[in-house]
Amino acid sequence: MDRDPSSRKMADEDDEQAFDEDVEESGSGAEGGQGRRKRLFSKELRCMMYGFGDDQNPYTESVDILEDLVIEFITEMTHKAMSIGRQGRVQVEDIVFLIRKDPRKFARVKDLLTMNEELKRARKAFDEANYGS
Amino acid sequence: MDSEPEVKPSAPPAAESPKAGEAAAAVTSSDAAAEQPGPSSEEEEEEEEAAAEEAEGGKQAPHGEEAAAAAAEPREEGAEEEDDEEGDAAQQAKRLRMEPVRDKKDKKQKVDEDEIQKMQILVSSFSEEQLNRYEMYRRSAFPKAAIKRLIQSITGCSVSQNVVIAMSGISKVFVGEVMEEALDVCDKWGETPPLQPKHMREAVRRLKLRGQIPNTKYKKVSFN
Repeated sequence: MDRDPSSRKMADEDDEQAFDEDVEESGSGAEGGQGRRKRLFSKELRCMMYGFGDDQNPYTESVDILEDLVIEFITEMTHKAMSIGRQGRVQVEDIVFLIRKDPRKFARVKDLLTMNEELKRARKAFDEANYGS
Repeated sequence: MDSEPEVKPSAPPAAESPKAGEAAAAVTSSDAAAEQPGPSSEEEEEEEEAAAEEAEGGKQAPHGEEAAAAAAEPREEGAEEEDDEEGDAAQQAKRLRMEPVRDKKDKKQKVDEDEIQKMQILVSSFSEEQLNRYEMYRRSAFPKAAIKRLIQSITGCSVSQNVVIAMSGISKVFVGEVMEEALDVCDKWGETPPLQPKHMREAVRRLKLRGQIPNTKYKKVSFN
Protein backbone atom coordinates (compact mmCIF):
# COMPACT_ATOMS: atom_id res chain seq x y z
CA MET A 1 0.00 0.00 0.00
CA ASP A 2 1.29 3.43 -0.84
CA ARG A 3 -0.32 5.30 2.00
CA ASP A 4 2.56 5.76 4.42
CA PRO A 5 5.98 4.89 2.93
CA SER A 6 7.80 5.30 6.25
CA SER A 7 5.75 2.54 7.89
CA ARG A 8 6.87 0.00 5.28
CA LYS A 9 10.29 -0.14 6.85
CA MET A 10 8.87 -1.17 10.20
CA ALA A 11 8.41 -4.73 11.32
CA ASP A 12 4.64 -5.05 11.90
CA GLU A 13 3.71 -3.64 8.51
CA ASP A 14 0.11 -4.78 8.30
CA ASP A 15 -0.87 -3.61 11.76
CA GLU A 16 0.79 -0.24 11.36
CA GLN A 17 -0.80 0.36 7.99
CA ALA A 18 -4.26 -0.61 9.16
CA PHE A 19 -3.90 1.70 12.15
CA ASP A 20 -2.62 4.55 9.98
CA GLU A 21 -5.48 4.07 7.54
CA ASP A 22 -7.98 4.34 10.37
CA VAL A 23 -6.38 7.46 11.80
CA GLU A 24 -6.27 9.12 8.40
CA GLU A 25 -9.88 8.36 7.68
CA SER A 26 -11.01 9.98 10.92
CA GLY A 27 -10.00 13.32 9.54
CA SER A 28 -6.53 14.14 10.90
CA GLY A 29 -5.08 16.06 8.00
CA ALA A 30 -1.74 16.92 9.60
CA GLU A 31 0.17 14.19 7.75
CA GLY A 32 2.00 16.62 5.51
CA GLY A 33 0.02 15.45 2.50
CA GLN A 34 1.21 11.83 2.60
CA GLY A 35 -1.51 10.00 0.66
CA ARG A 36 -4.29 12.53 1.39
CA ARG A 37 -5.40 14.15 -1.85
CA LYS A 38 -6.42 17.77 -1.99
CA ARG A 39 -9.97 18.50 -0.84
CA LEU A 40 -12.18 18.31 -3.92
CA PHE A 41 -15.59 19.44 -2.72
CA SER A 42 -15.03 21.67 0.27
CA LYS A 43 -16.96 24.72 -0.93
CA GLU A 44 -19.85 22.84 -2.48
CA LEU A 45 -20.23 20.51 0.47
CA ARG A 46 -20.47 23.43 2.85
CA CYS A 47 -23.35 24.91 0.89
CA MET A 48 -24.98 21.50 0.68
CA MET A 49 -24.73 20.93 4.41
CA TYR A 50 -26.33 24.27 5.11
CA GLY A 51 -29.09 23.46 2.65
CA PHE A 52 -29.78 20.11 4.30
CA GLY A 53 -30.10 21.58 7.80
CA ASP A 54 -26.70 22.16 9.34
CA ASP A 55 -25.40 25.47 10.63
CA GLN A 56 -24.42 28.20 8.20
CA ASN A 57 -20.75 27.55 9.04
CA PRO A 58 -20.32 23.80 9.44
CA TYR A 59 -17.24 22.37 11.14
CA THR A 60 -14.34 21.66 8.81
CA GLU A 61 -13.88 18.20 10.30
CA SER A 62 -17.49 17.31 9.51
CA VAL A 63 -17.06 18.56 5.94
CA ASP A 64 -13.94 16.41 5.63
CA ILE A 65 -15.74 13.33 6.89
CA LEU A 66 -18.57 13.93 4.43
CA GLU A 67 -16.15 14.40 1.56
CA ASP A 68 -14.44 11.12 2.36
CA LEU A 69 -17.84 9.44 2.50
CA VAL A 70 -18.87 10.85 -0.87
CA ILE A 71 -15.61 9.81 -2.54
CA GLU A 72 -15.94 6.33 -1.06
CA PHE A 73 -19.56 6.16 -2.27
CA ILE A 74 -18.63 7.20 -5.80
CA THR A 75 -15.71 4.78 -5.82
CA GLU A 76 -17.88 1.86 -4.70
CA MET A 77 -20.61 2.66 -7.24
CA THR A 78 -18.06 2.98 -10.02
CA HIS A 79 -16.43 -0.34 -9.18
CA LYS A 80 -19.80 -2.07 -9.00
CA ALA A 81 -20.88 -0.52 -12.30
CA MET A 82 -17.67 -1.68 -13.93
CA SER A 83 -18.32 -5.25 -12.89
CA ILE A 84 -21.85 -5.50 -14.35
CA GLY A 85 -23.15 -4.95 -17.85
CA ARG A 86 -20.32 -4.08 -20.16
CA GLN A 87 -17.16 -4.94 -18.22
CA GLY A 88 -14.66 -2.21 -17.60
CA ARG A 89 -17.02 0.58 -18.61
CA VAL A 90 -19.47 2.66 -16.62
CA GLN A 91 -22.79 3.27 -18.33
CA VAL A 92 -25.98 4.93 -17.19
CA GLU A 93 -27.96 1.70 -17.37
CA ASP A 94 -25.57 0.10 -14.91
CA ILE A 95 -25.99 2.92 -12.44
CA VAL A 96 -29.76 2.77 -12.75
CA PHE A 97 -29.64 -0.98 -12.19
CA LEU A 98 -27.54 -0.60 -9.04
CA ILE A 99 -29.88 2.02 -7.66
CA ARG A 100 -33.11 0.17 -8.38
CA LYS A 101 -33.76 -0.81 -4.75
CA ASP A 102 -33.37 2.70 -3.36
CA PRO A 103 -36.56 4.64 -4.22
CA ARG A 104 -35.20 8.13 -3.59
CA LYS A 105 -32.07 7.75 -5.66
CA PHE A 106 -33.88 5.92 -8.41
CA ALA A 107 -36.55 8.60 -8.76
CA ARG A 108 -33.90 11.32 -8.68
CA VAL A 109 -31.85 9.75 -11.47
CA LYS A 110 -34.94 9.25 -13.62
CA ASP A 111 -35.97 12.87 -13.09
CA LEU A 112 -32.51 14.23 -13.87
CA LEU A 113 -32.13 12.23 -17.07
CA THR A 114 -35.63 13.13 -18.26
CA MET A 115 -35.05 16.81 -17.57
CA ASN A 116 -31.73 16.65 -19.38
CA GLU A 117 -33.40 15.18 -22.47
CA GLU A 118 -36.10 17.85 -22.40
CA LEU A 119 -33.54 20.62 -22.07
CA LYS A 120 -31.50 19.22 -24.94
CA ARG A 121 -34.61 19.08 -27.11
CA ALA A 122 -35.60 22.60 -26.17
CA ARG A 123 -32.13 23.94 -26.87
CA LYS A 124 -32.04 22.19 -30.21
CA ALA A 125 -35.43 23.58 -31.21
CA PHE A 126 -34.35 27.03 -30.12
CA ASP A 127 -31.15 26.81 -32.13
CA GLU A 128 -33.00 25.63 -35.20
CA ALA A 129 -35.45 28.52 -34.89
CA ASN A 130 -32.55 30.94 -34.74
CA TYR A 131 -30.87 29.28 -37.69
CA GLY A 132 -33.96 29.85 -39.83
CA SER A 133 -34.15 33.54 -39.07
CA MET B 1 -40.15 18.06 -1.89
CA ASP B 2 -37.18 16.82 -3.81
CA SER B 3 -39.21 15.59 -6.75
CA GLU B 4 -39.01 18.81 -8.70
CA PRO B 5 -35.82 18.97 -10.79
CA GLU B 6 -33.45 21.85 -10.53
CA VAL B 7 -34.79 23.93 -13.40
CA LYS B 8 -35.83 26.67 -11.04
CA PRO B 9 -36.52 29.68 -13.29
CA SER B 10 -39.13 27.97 -15.43
CA ALA B 11 -41.27 26.55 -12.62
CA PRO B 12 -42.56 29.66 -10.75
CA PRO B 13 -43.51 31.84 -13.73
CA ALA B 14 -45.10 28.90 -15.53
CA ALA B 15 -47.16 27.97 -12.47
CA GLU B 16 -48.50 31.49 -12.07
CA SER B 17 -50.41 31.51 -15.34
CA PRO B 18 -53.47 29.55 -14.20
CA LYS B 19 -54.16 32.29 -11.68
CA ALA B 20 -53.45 35.23 -13.93
CA GLY B 21 -55.67 33.99 -16.72
CA GLU B 22 -55.64 35.11 -20.34
CA ALA B 23 -52.88 37.70 -20.26
CA ALA B 24 -50.41 35.43 -18.53
CA ALA B 25 -51.27 32.52 -20.78
CA ALA B 26 -50.61 34.63 -23.86
CA VAL B 27 -47.31 35.90 -22.44
CA THR B 28 -45.90 32.63 -21.18
CA SER B 29 -46.96 30.27 -23.98
CA SER B 30 -45.11 29.83 -27.26
CA ASP B 31 -46.15 31.47 -30.51
CA ALA B 32 -48.17 28.52 -31.78
CA ALA B 33 -50.09 28.26 -28.53
CA ALA B 34 -50.71 32.00 -28.36
CA GLU B 35 -53.04 31.76 -31.33
CA GLN B 36 -55.55 29.78 -29.34
CA PRO B 37 -56.97 32.44 -27.04
CA GLY B 38 -57.82 34.18 -30.32
CA PRO B 39 -60.18 31.66 -31.97
CA SER B 40 -61.82 30.55 -28.72
CA SER B 41 -62.49 34.11 -27.62
CA GLU B 42 -64.56 34.68 -30.72
CA GLU B 43 -67.24 32.36 -29.37
CA GLU B 44 -70.56 33.41 -27.93
CA GLU B 45 -70.79 30.99 -24.97
CA GLU B 46 -68.73 32.51 -22.17
CA GLU B 47 -68.71 29.45 -19.89
CA GLU B 48 -67.13 27.27 -22.54
CA GLU B 49 -64.57 29.95 -23.28
CA ALA B 50 -63.59 30.28 -19.61
CA ALA B 51 -63.37 26.50 -19.23
CA ALA B 52 -61.27 26.16 -22.38
CA GLU B 53 -58.92 28.93 -21.28
CA GLU B 54 -58.51 27.46 -17.83
CA ALA B 55 -57.81 24.05 -19.32
CA GLU B 56 -55.34 25.58 -21.78
CA GLY B 57 -53.64 27.58 -19.07
CA GLY B 58 -53.52 24.55 -16.81
CA LYS B 59 -52.07 22.33 -19.48
CA GLN B 60 -49.47 24.78 -20.70
CA ALA B 61 -48.36 25.98 -17.28
CA PRO B 62 -46.31 23.14 -15.77
CA HIS B 63 -43.97 22.31 -18.61
CA GLY B 64 -42.79 25.11 -20.79
CA GLU B 65 -40.85 22.70 -22.96
CA GLU B 66 -43.92 20.56 -23.52
CA ALA B 67 -45.95 23.57 -24.65
CA ALA B 68 -45.92 22.35 -28.25
CA ALA B 69 -47.24 18.92 -27.30
CA ALA B 70 -49.76 20.27 -24.78
CA ALA B 71 -50.92 22.92 -27.24
CA ALA B 72 -52.13 20.23 -29.61
CA GLU B 73 -54.71 19.06 -27.09
CA PRO B 74 -56.43 22.39 -26.31
CA ARG B 75 -56.45 23.09 -30.03
CA GLU B 76 -58.57 20.00 -30.54
CA GLU B 77 -60.89 21.16 -27.80
CA GLY B 78 -61.26 24.56 -29.41
CA ALA B 79 -61.94 22.98 -32.80
CA GLU B 80 -64.69 20.88 -31.23
CA GLU B 81 -66.52 23.83 -29.82
CA GLU B 82 -66.32 25.80 -33.04
CA ASP B 83 -67.96 23.01 -35.05
CA ASP B 84 -71.44 23.65 -33.70
CA GLU B 85 -72.94 22.72 -37.05
CA GLU B 86 -71.69 19.12 -36.64
CA GLY B 87 -74.39 18.34 -34.12
CA ASP B 88 -74.23 17.43 -30.46
CA ALA B 89 -74.11 13.65 -30.95
CA ALA B 90 -71.06 13.78 -33.19
CA GLN B 91 -69.38 16.18 -30.81
CA GLN B 92 -70.03 13.95 -27.84
CA ALA B 93 -68.70 10.93 -29.69
CA LYS B 94 -65.53 12.86 -30.53
CA ARG B 95 -65.12 13.94 -26.93
CA LEU B 96 -65.65 10.43 -25.57
CA ARG B 97 -63.10 8.95 -27.94
CA MET B 98 -60.37 11.40 -27.06
CA GLU B 99 -61.08 11.49 -23.34
CA PRO B 100 -59.41 8.22 -22.15
CA VAL B 101 -56.07 9.24 -23.62
CA ARG B 102 -56.39 12.77 -22.32
CA ASP B 103 -57.60 11.65 -18.86
CA LYS B 104 -54.36 9.88 -17.95
CA LYS B 105 -52.25 12.83 -19.00
CA ASP B 106 -54.73 15.22 -17.34
CA LYS B 107 -54.52 13.36 -14.05
CA LYS B 108 -50.73 13.32 -14.09
CA GLN B 109 -50.51 16.99 -15.02
CA LYS B 110 -53.14 17.86 -12.42
CA VAL B 111 -51.11 16.08 -9.75
CA ASP B 112 -48.04 17.99 -10.92
CA GLU B 113 -49.99 21.23 -10.90
CA ASP B 114 -51.30 20.58 -7.40
CA GLU B 115 -47.85 19.85 -6.16
CA ILE B 116 -46.42 22.93 -7.84
CA GLN B 117 -49.13 25.11 -6.33
CA LYS B 118 -48.61 23.67 -2.88
CA MET B 119 -44.88 24.23 -3.16
CA GLN B 120 -45.49 27.79 -4.24
CA ILE B 121 -47.72 28.48 -1.27
CA LEU B 122 -45.16 26.92 1.05
CA VAL B 123 -42.20 28.82 -0.36
CA SER B 124 -44.08 32.10 -0.30
CA SER B 125 -44.54 31.74 3.45
CA PHE B 126 -40.85 31.18 4.21
CA SER B 127 -38.88 33.49 6.46
CA GLU B 128 -35.67 35.11 5.25
CA GLU B 129 -33.49 32.44 6.83
CA GLN B 130 -35.65 29.64 5.47
CA LEU B 131 -35.48 31.14 2.00
CA ASN B 132 -31.70 31.24 2.18
CA ARG B 133 -31.54 27.63 3.26
CA TYR B 134 -33.99 26.54 0.57
CA GLU B 135 -31.99 28.34 -2.09
CA MET B 136 -28.82 26.59 -0.93
CA TYR B 137 -30.65 23.27 -0.90
CA ARG B 138 -31.80 23.64 -4.49
CA ARG B 139 -28.72 25.26 -5.94
CA SER B 140 -25.86 23.36 -4.33
CA ALA B 141 -24.39 20.68 -6.54
CA PHE B 142 -21.17 18.82 -7.10
CA PRO B 143 -18.90 20.26 -9.81
CA LYS B 144 -19.29 18.12 -12.91
CA ALA B 145 -15.63 18.44 -13.87
CA ALA B 146 -14.36 17.11 -10.56
CA ILE B 147 -16.82 14.20 -10.58
CA LYS B 148 -15.87 13.33 -14.14
CA ARG B 149 -12.19 13.42 -13.27
CA LEU B 150 -12.77 11.22 -10.24
CA ILE B 151 -14.76 8.60 -12.15
CA GLN B 152 -12.30 8.56 -15.00
CA SER B 153 -9.39 8.11 -12.62
CA ILE B 154 -11.15 5.02 -11.24
CA THR B 155 -12.27 3.45 -14.50
CA GLY B 156 -9.33 4.44 -16.64
CA CYS B 157 -11.63 5.07 -19.59
CA SER B 158 -13.84 8.01 -20.48
CA VAL B 159 -17.44 8.24 -19.31
CA SER B 160 -20.41 9.92 -20.94
CA GLN B 161 -22.01 13.10 -19.70
CA ASN B 162 -25.14 11.27 -18.54
CA VAL B 163 -23.07 9.14 -16.20
CA VAL B 164 -21.63 12.27 -14.61
CA ILE B 165 -25.09 13.78 -14.26
CA ALA B 166 -26.48 10.60 -12.68
CA MET B 167 -23.54 10.18 -10.33
CA SER B 168 -23.65 13.79 -9.10
CA GLY B 169 -27.37 13.46 -8.53
CA ILE B 170 -27.21 10.33 -6.43
CA SER B 171 -24.21 11.65 -4.52
CA LYS B 172 -26.27 14.64 -3.49
CA VAL B 173 -29.11 12.36 -2.38
CA PHE B 174 -26.55 10.32 -0.46
CA VAL B 175 -25.29 13.45 1.32
CA GLY B 176 -28.89 14.28 2.15
CA GLU B 177 -29.45 10.87 3.71
CA VAL B 178 -26.32 11.13 5.85
CA MET B 179 -27.19 14.68 6.91
CA GLU B 180 -30.74 13.74 7.89
CA GLU B 181 -29.53 10.82 9.95
CA ALA B 182 -26.81 12.95 11.58
CA LEU B 183 -29.31 15.67 12.48
CA ASP B 184 -31.53 12.95 13.93
CA VAL B 185 -28.64 11.66 16.05
CA CYS B 186 -27.73 15.18 17.13
CA ASP B 187 -31.31 15.78 18.20
CA LYS B 188 -31.53 12.49 20.05
CA TRP B 189 -28.39 13.24 22.00
CA GLY B 190 -29.84 16.57 23.05
CA GLU B 191 -27.29 18.68 21.21
CA THR B 192 -27.55 21.43 18.63
CA PRO B 193 -26.07 22.08 15.19
CA PRO B 194 -23.36 22.62 13.94
CA LEU B 195 -22.87 18.90 13.50
CA GLN B 196 -19.79 17.35 15.02
CA PRO B 197 -17.78 14.42 13.66
CA LYS B 198 -19.24 12.13 16.32
CA HIS B 199 -22.75 12.72 14.97
CA MET B 200 -21.58 12.01 11.43
CA ARG B 201 -19.86 8.79 12.45
CA GLU B 202 -22.86 7.55 14.41
CA ALA B 203 -25.06 8.38 11.43
CA VAL B 204 -22.80 6.37 9.13
CA ARG B 205 -22.83 3.47 11.55
CA ARG B 206 -26.64 3.45 11.58
CA LEU B 207 -26.91 3.71 7.81
CA LYS B 208 -24.45 0.84 7.46
CA LEU B 209 -26.71 -1.32 9.62
CA ARG B 210 -29.60 -0.50 7.29
CA GLY B 211 -27.47 -1.33 4.27
CA GLN B 212 -27.57 2.13 2.75
CA ILE B 213 -23.80 2.52 2.61
CA PRO B 214 -22.32 0.40 -0.20
CA ASN B 215 -19.41 -1.67 1.03
CA THR B 216 -17.66 -4.32 -1.03
CA LYS B 217 -14.50 -4.52 1.05
CA TYR B 218 -15.46 -7.02 3.74
CA LYS B 219 -17.78 -9.82 2.72
CA LYS B 220 -19.46 -11.57 5.65
CA VAL B 221 -19.08 -15.34 5.44
CA SER B 222 -22.46 -16.86 6.30
CA PHE B 223 -21.67 -20.58 6.57
CA ASN B 224 -18.23 -21.45 7.76
